[in-house]
Amino acid sequence: MAAPCRHVGQHIKRNGRFLRINLDQLFASRGFRWTSALQQQGAEVYKESKEPIVIPRKKSWSSEAVLEALASTVHRDPTAYPYQFQDDSYLSPRTSTEFKLFSLSQESGRAAAKYFVNNNPKFFTKDFAEPHIPCLMPESVVLRLEEVSEEALKERINLRKVSAAVEMYDQLLQAGTSVSVETTQELLDLICLYCDKNPVQEGAPEVEDTEEAGEETKRRKPKGRRAADHLKTSWKENNNAERIFNLLPERDSRCYSALIRGMVKHGAYTKAFSLYTDLLNNRLSADVHTFNALISAVPDVRDKFNERWDLITELLNQMNEQKVRPNLLTFNSVLKALRRCGFLAKTYAPQTLNEMKALGIAPSLATYDHILAVFYKSGSSGPNNTDILQDMLTELEGTSFTCQDPHDVFFFSSAMRICLDSKDLELGYKVHSLLEVGDNWRLLGDSHQQSVYYGRFFSLLCMMEHIDVVLKWYSRIIPSLYYPNPQGMRDLLQALDTDGRLDLLPTIWKDIKTLGHDNKVDLVEELLSLMAREEHSPEMQESFAACALDVRSVFDSRSSTEWSTSSLSHITTLLLRANKLQQAWDMLLLFKAQNRVPSEVLLNNFLSVCQSSGAPKRAVELVQLAAAFCLPATPVLAKTALAEFQLTDEQRSILSEFEAAPEKETE
Amino acid sequence: MHRLLSRTVSAARTRSLCVYECCVLPAKIDNVSRPFTGVGANTICTCTVRRCEKKDDAIPSNQGEATNLDTETKTTQLQEESLEANDGGSTQQQRNVKAEQVLSKPSQVKTDGAKSGKKSLLDLLGAMKVEVTSKRKLKNLKMKQSFESAVQYKSKSAAMESTISMFQKANVQASAQSEVLDPDLVAAASAAASTLLNRSRAESELLKQLRQRKALTEAQKKGDINNLGVLIADMKVGKTPGRQNAWPADQIRFDDDGQGYTRDRGITSELANVRKRRNIFPTKRLNIFSPTTDEQRGDSALAKPTLWDLDFANELSLTTNQMPRNGFEEMIQWTKEGKLWHYPINNEIGLEDEASVPFNEHIFLEKHLEEGFPRQGPVRHFMELVVAGLSRNPYLTVQQKKEHISWFRDYFHQREAVLNEADVYLN
Repeated sequence: MAAPCRHVGQHIKRNGRFLRINLDQLFASRGFRWTSALQQQGAEVYKESKEPIVIPRKKSWSSEAVLEALASTVHRDPTAYPYQFQDDSYLSPRTSTEFKLFSLSQESGRAAAKYFVNNNPKFFTKDFAEPHIPCLMPESVVLRLEEVSEEALKERINLRKVSAAVEMYDQLLQAGTSVSVETTQELLDLICLYCDKNPVQEGAPEVEDTEEAGEETKRRKPKGRRAADHLKTSWKENNNAERIFNLLPERDSRCYSALIRGMVKHGAYTKAFSLYTDLLNNRLSADVHTFNALISAVPDVRDKFNERWDLITELLNQMNEQKVRPNLLTFNSVLKALRRCGFLAKTYAPQTLNEMKALGIAPSLATYDHILAVFYKSGSSGPNNTDILQDMLTELEGTSFTCQDPHDVFFFSSAMRICLDSKDLELGYKVHSLLEVGDNWRLLGDSHQQSVYYGRFFSLLCMMEHIDVVLKWYSRIIPSLYYPNPQGMRDLLQALDTDGRLDLLPTIWKDIKTLGHDNKVDLVEELLSLMAREEHSPEMQESFAACALDVRSVFDSRSSTEWSTSSLSHITTLLLRANKLQQAWDMLLLFKAQNRVPSEVLLNNFLSVCQSSGAPKRAVELVQLAAAFCLPATPVLAKTALAEFQLTDEQRSILSEFEAAPEKETE
Repeated sequence: MHRLLSRTVSAARTRSLCVYECCVLPAKIDNVSRPFTGVGANTICTCTVRRCEKKDDAIPSNQGEATNLDTETKTTQLQEESLEANDGGSTQQQRNVKAEQVLSKPSQVKTDGAKSGKKSLLDLLGAMKVEVTSKRKLKNLKMKQSFESAVQYKSKSAAMESTISMFQKANVQASAQSEVLDPDLVAAASAAASTLLNRSRAESELLKQLRQRKALTEAQKKGDINNLGVLIADMKVGKTPGRQNAWPADQIRFDDDGQGYTRDRGITSELANVRKRRNIFPTKRLNIFSPTTDEQRGDSALAKPTLWDLDFANELSLTTNQMPRNGFEEMIQWTKEGKLWHYPINNEIGLEDEASVPFNEHIFLEKHLEEGFPRQGPVRHFMELVVAGLSRNPYLTVQQKKEHISWFRDYFHQREAVLNEADVYLN
C-alpha cells in the first residue's frame, strides 16, 4: 500500500508544480499591470504596494481527475494477463490465437447482448439505477411511427434504416408533402455514407450475408469481413442517392458534399470529380470535407505522377480561392496521395509539412507516417539513412498524442520497421520511449498492429542487444503484451546462441510450449540442434536431456507430426550425453518405427556409452539394430563391440556373424 | 412563564382588578397566557383570599412560593373556597377573560355555558383544559415545562383529574400522530389547524403534507447513501493492490541499463547529437495558403455533428486501442460512457441541476411567503416554521421547496373563507 501512496504523492506534487507555474504566470501578468499603473502615480505609492495580493484562480477538476490520479498509480504487471481477461480465469489467453479468439468472443458477446436487449425491450423494463442511467436501458431500434410524415422519415434516418428512409421519402414526395432541406440533407448523408445499403446492426446475426452471398464470397470468407464489405459496397450508377439528388429543386453545397464524399468512400472516383465540376459550374463552393475526399481520390483518377500532383495543387488552390480553411486531414490526404506520386514525393512532402506548420496545424502521427513512407520505401533504403526518423523523434520526444486520423495507428509499427531495417537500436529505443509517453500506447492500434510492432522491436533487440537486456525485455513484454511468432522465438534462440547462454534453452522450450509453438517442427528442430551441437557440463546435459524427453513426449502425444531424422538423432544424442541409455535405446527403436535411419556417428556414440556404462547386451542389440537397417557401418560396429566388450560366447557368435556377413555382401 | 406569573402576581398585589388587565395581554402572549388564566385566576383568587386574611406586604414573596411550592393542598382548598366565595365575581371575571381571549368557537360556546354556578365553572375549566392541551403544543419547550408544573400542582384536585387524563390522552395522541415529525412543527400545525372549523381533519391534513415532505427528504437522503454504496460496490477496490508495486523498481533499474547501453555507443551518439541540430527538411513550403484565415473557424465548431462526423469518430475509436489496463481506467471509461456515477471530486457531486442555484435561494425562503399568505396570525407563524425547516433541509431542491410552500398556499387559500370567519386569516 505504501507504493500507491507514494505515487499519489508524486502525482499531487506534479500537479502542484503545474499549479505553481500557473500562479507564477498569473503573478507575472498581474505584477506587470500593477507596476505600469503605478509608475504613472509616482514612487511613494509604489513603495506601499510592493506585494500585490494575488487571488489564485479556482482550479476546476474534470470528473475523472481522481480516477486518473488513481489509475496513474497502477503500473502494468508483466506477469499478469491483460486486464480484460482477469475477470474470467477460463478466458486466459496463452497464445496469440487464443488472445484474438477470447477478445473477439468477449466483444461479440457484448454486442449480442446489446442486440438482444435492444430488440426485446419488453423484457428489460426494470430500471435499477437511481438516478436513471440512460445507456443501460434498451435503445429503441424498432420503428415506431408508421404514418407517412417527415417525423417518421427523421426516425428512420436516426435509426439508420436506409431503405426504409428512402421508401418513406418517396411516399412523402408522392403524397405531395415537401420535406425540409435539413431532413433531405440528412437523408442524403445517410444514403451516401452507407452506399444505399442498410448497415449491419451491431451484434445482429449475419444470416442475410450468407444467403445473399454466392459461392464466390463463401470462398472469400476466410479473408475476413472487410473483403466482403468492400465487395458489397461499391457505388452503383443511379442509385437512390443520385436519384434523390437529381430530384432536388435546389442543390446546395452540402448536398454536393454528401454525394462526393459518398462516391469517394465507395470507389466512384471519376464520378466524384465530375460532380465537383458540376458544383463549380453552379458557382457553389465546396466545404473542407469535400476537398479532403477529392484529394484522397486523386491518385485513382490520374495515372502519371506529374498529373496527380498538378491536380492536388489545383484543388488546394481552389480551396484557397474559395476561402476554405484546410485542416489536418486535408494535409494528411495530400501526403497520402503523395505516397503514390513516386519521385515527386520526396520534394513535395517536406514542403507540405512546412505548409502545415506555417498554418499552425499540428501534424498528427499519420502525417509523420506518410513522410516516413515517402522517404523509406521498404528495401530501397540504405543502411544508415535514418536521419529523418532521427529528426522526427527528436522533435516528438515526450509528446503525448491523441488519435486524429485513422492512419495514426500505423506510425509506430512503420517507424520500428525502419529501425529494424537499418538495425539502429538507439533509434528503436527512442521510438519505444515515445510509445510509453502518456496515452500513446493507445495509438499502437489493434492487437494485430501491436504484435507487428512488438515483433519488430523484439527482433531488433535480439539482433543488436546484449542477451541480458534481451531477456529483461523478454520477461517484460512476453506474454503480457506480445505473443511472439515462431520467427521471433528463432531470433531469440539465435541471440542466445550468439551470447553463449544456451543453458537457458530448457526454459525457452517451456515458453515455446506455452505459446503453442511446439508444433512448429523447424523451430523445435533448431532448439534441439542448438542443444545437441556441443557438449556441456553434466548438470546442463541433465537438464537438456529432460528437455529432450519433454520434446519427445510432446511429439508422441501429437500423432500427426512426423519425426525427422535430425530431431530423432538430436534427442538420442542428448539422452546419451546424459547417460540415459534406456531412453536412448527407445529413441533408436523409434527410428525404426518411423522408417528413419540413424547416422553412423550416433551409433558409434551409443556404443561408446554402452561401453562406459558397461552394458554389453545393449551393444549387441545395437549391432543387431544396425544390421536391421542394413547400415554399411554394421561390421565396424560389430568389430568394435567384439574388441571392447566383455561378452558371452553366445553374444560373440552373433556379433561375429554381423562382422562377417556384410563384408561378404560388399565383396 | 415564571416571570409572567410573578408579574401577574405582583399586579395582583396592588389591585385584584389589575389581574384582569394582566390577563388581557397583547395578542402575542395571549395564547401563552391563556392556559395560565385558568390557573392564574385561581391563584389570584387565592391571593385575594389570603390578602384578606393577612393583609401583609410580605405576601408577594409568599405568593411566589405559593404558586410554586406550598401550593398544592392550599391552592386546591383555597380554590374551592374562592370559588365558593367569589362565585359571582370571579366567574364573571373569568367569563370576560374567556370572551376576550378565546378565539375558537367551541370554547366560546362553553364560556356561555359557564354562567351557572360552580359546577358549570368546573365544566368550563375542564373544557378549557382540553383546549389548553391543544394550545399547549404551540408553545416552545420552556413554556411547556412551566405549564406542566402548573398542571402538576393542580393534580391533586379531584375536579381536575379528568382534565389531566384528557390532557395526557391528547398528548399521547399528538405524539402518535407526529410519529417522526418535530414536535414543534406538529404543535404549529395543530395550532394552525385549530383555527379551522374541522380541527382534527385539518390538522391531520397538514401533518400529512409535512410527513410526505419528510418522507421525500428521507428518501432523497437515503438515496444518496445508496448511490454511494453502489459506487463503492462497483469500485473493486480489493482487486489491484497486490500487483501495484510489483515492478517499478525493476523498471528503473532496467532504464538504467538502457542508458548504460546507449552510452556505449560513444561517437555515434555524439554524431547523432550534432545531426540533431540541423533540420533535415528545407524551410520551403507550398505557399498556397496564407496563415491568417482565422475567421471561418467558429461556424464549424458550432454546427451540429453530421452523420459523417459520427462515422469518423467511430472509425477513430475503432482503430485505437481502447482496452482499459486496470480497474481505474475501466471506471474512467464507464464514467465517460455515462454508466457510472461520477467519482466525487468535491462536495457538490450529483447536484448538477442545482449547480446553478445560489445558496441564498435555498436558505432565504421567506420571500416566498410574501404572496398568498397572511401577514400575521397562526397561519403565518406556521408557515414561518415550515420555511425555517425547509431552509435547513439539504436534500430537497429549490424547486421542491417552492412546491412545498405553494402547496400550503393553495391549502390555506382554499380554506380562506373558514379562516376569515374565524378571524385568523389576517390579510
